[in-house]
Amino acid sequence: MSASSIIFYIIAAFILATGILAVTTRKIFRASIWLLFSLIGVASLYFWMQLEFLAAVQIIVYVGGIVVLIIFSIFLTIKSGEEMPKPILMRSIFSALAVIFGTAFMVRLISQYNFKAGSEGTFVLRINDIGTQMLDTKNYGYLLPFELISILLLAAMIGCIVIAIKQKEQPTTIS
Amino acid sequence: MFIVDYIKDIYGAIRSLLVGMNRTGYYFTHHKEIITQNYPENRLELNLPERFRGEVVMTHDENNEHACTGCSACELACPNGTIKIINKFDISPEGKKKKAIDTFVYHLELCTMCNLCVDACPTGAIKMAQTFEHSVYNRGLLTKQLNKPGSKLKAGVE
Amino acid sequence: MFSLESITTIVQNWLTKTFSPNLALFFEFVIVGVLAIALFAALGLVLVLMERKVAAWIQIRLGPNRVGPKGILQSLADTVKLIMKEGLTPDGSDKFLFNLAPFIVMMVAMLALAPIGFSKGFHIWDINIGVLYVSAISSVSVIGILMAGWASNNKYSLLGAMRSGAQMVSYELSVGLCILSIIVLTGSLSLNDIVLSQQNGWWLFKGHIPAIISFVIFIIAVTAETNRAPFDLSEAESELTAGFHTEYSGMKFALFFLAEYINIFIVCAIGATLFLGGWMPFHLGTWEGFNHIMDYIPSFIWFFGKTFFLIFVIMWFRWTFPRLRVDQLLNLEWKYLLPISMVNLVIMTLVAIQGWHF
Repeated sequence: MSASSIIFYIIAAFILATGILAVTTRKIFRASIWLLFSLIGVASLYFWMQLEFLAAVQIIVYVGGIVVLIIFSIFLTIKSGEEMPKPILMRSIFSALAVIFGTAFMVRLISQYNFKAGSEGTFVLRINDIGTQMLDTKNYGYLLPFELISILLLAAMIGCIVIAIKQKEQPTTIS
Repeated sequence: MFIVDYIKDIYGAIRSLLVGMNRTGYYFTHHKEIITQNYPENRLELNLPERFRGEVVMTHDENNEHACTGCSACELACPNGTIKIINKFDISPEGKKKKAIDTFVYHLELCTMCNLCVDACPTGAIKMAQTFEHSVYNRGLLTKQLNKPGSKLKAGVE
Repeated sequence: MFSLESITTIVQNWLTKTFSPNLALFFEFVIVGVLAIALFAALGLVLVLMERKVAAWIQIRLGPNRVGPKGILQSLADTVKLIMKEGLTPDGSDKFLFNLAPFIVMMVAMLALAPIGFSKGFHIWDINIGVLYVSAISSVSVIGILMAGWASNNKYSLLGAMRSGAQMVSYELSVGLCILSIIVLTGSLSLNDIVLSQQNGWWLFKGHIPAIISFVIFIIAVTAETNRAPFDLSEAESELTAGFHTEYSGMKFALFFLAEYINIFIVCAIGATLFLGGWMPFHLGTWEGFNHIMDYIPSFIWFFGKTFFLIFVIMWFRWTFPRLRVDQLLNLEWKYLLPISMVNLVIMTLVAIQGWHF
């Protein structure tokens, strides 16, 4: 086993262990921290694959953005420090079954697909190419999906504002 | 117009920030005019500012005479009961009774150096001294008698 | 001429000749780690002393002057004191997260050091997305602060952490846009390429007024991002005692304290690299004679000189301006800095496309 594959197994074990801790811990804040470590593990897997751009984006979007939002909403809940009640038995059984079936499905899929060994040596990603492809309308450009996603996010933000907006006080009728 | 106000805002903000930084930059580059002092080293030639207030003292002249009539205006002016005046009655040569102080008690441990007693004194008998090394081993030593033993009222002070 | 690059080449050649490739890599690993930790310790000592001296001189005082000649050993004495102190873990806190938080903050500061070029050919990892990597890594440090604030089980800590989170998340945007406006000119995210593109002059001078505007906004926004006065709402002494590190003591507090100064160093190093040319000496266009004279000064002196100049500017801010309120802080970001830097980015793009820069 080469040093590279040893590092891969360490990272994979880290992702799995923190992922399992995230779903089994009964303190909600700790769950979010374990989720954070799991996402950092995924980012380090990207670094291991030498996809630095993807790894940096993973950290910016998931760690710096989404986990911070999750933590903020946890701060705003009332019982953030207490232990959650134990889940009922039926629910745990069903989630365990879902996990087993999901794993079996994925294993089946991956074993059926015969991966080809990469012909090129190292894969060099240039920033200019990413930029060009992101704003291209043809040649498999990503302009349209990019804009669609931004409209979705805009709709979500407007929805949040509508929910959070202060209602004008109804004039109370005094008889 | 909105955009003009916006730009004016930014201009004003940057200008005021630069004025502030200019001031502190001046202090930074001119660090010869230091106002703090190397205290224990220059203990002998300390240069205290004129308005520094260390403790209340009563001035006595060379004949061991003071100007305190015992009117207790300072005692009334003191916000936290630092001063206590004990009076006695002197018999003057003509046989008249005359009020005079027996003891001017001053509790240094209660004093906040607010200067109100000095302002209240009608005859200018007390003033603020510049001594500040007040630490002692016994709390009782902080209760002081300001009039010296055997001192008496200056002639002509009412 | 003395340069750090020659030393690293000598060391690397010796290691690869003497040991097997894996072992040589391992030894390089160890050397880099020791050097990074030594740099951190030295920076912590120097920057704390510098801050206290700058503060004293701005306030017409003398500053620390008892320990050692002119007080230069003061921060060493403070470190010894902090090591001797007991590290308390308050009852009722989440002990695991409480003890983890300072290390997260410290690790993030260490990781962000990797792509910075200290001197010509002297950097830990010349990653091709250097700037993006630094901004990604530094966005993790807010997690450490939130963790510390929540795990302390203290209202001041929680409030400080929430303020700090809101502040760092919002000011990251203008920092990103200011960095982008230089990236538009260089066309590369690698810090080494950015430095090399300033061969004939620094971007601050080559990029006309938009570069100056983005430099000013960058300095303001990084001051806010490192939680320093006048944006130190997360540890406002008069309101929240000490904010998110109220409950910390001893070495754990020292780690937070050190990480703050390391973060200042890193953001100033990035600012110096982007706008002031990093280790590139001061060059003026095609004046060969002048450029040659400037080349005689070693490149690491240029780098540290520029970085320490920016650090001094940030300290100057701290001891000049009063603290902002929370609403003023968010107004400044969302109503002033962000729109201005967006417009600035558009203008900069126009400059880059038309080739108006020098």
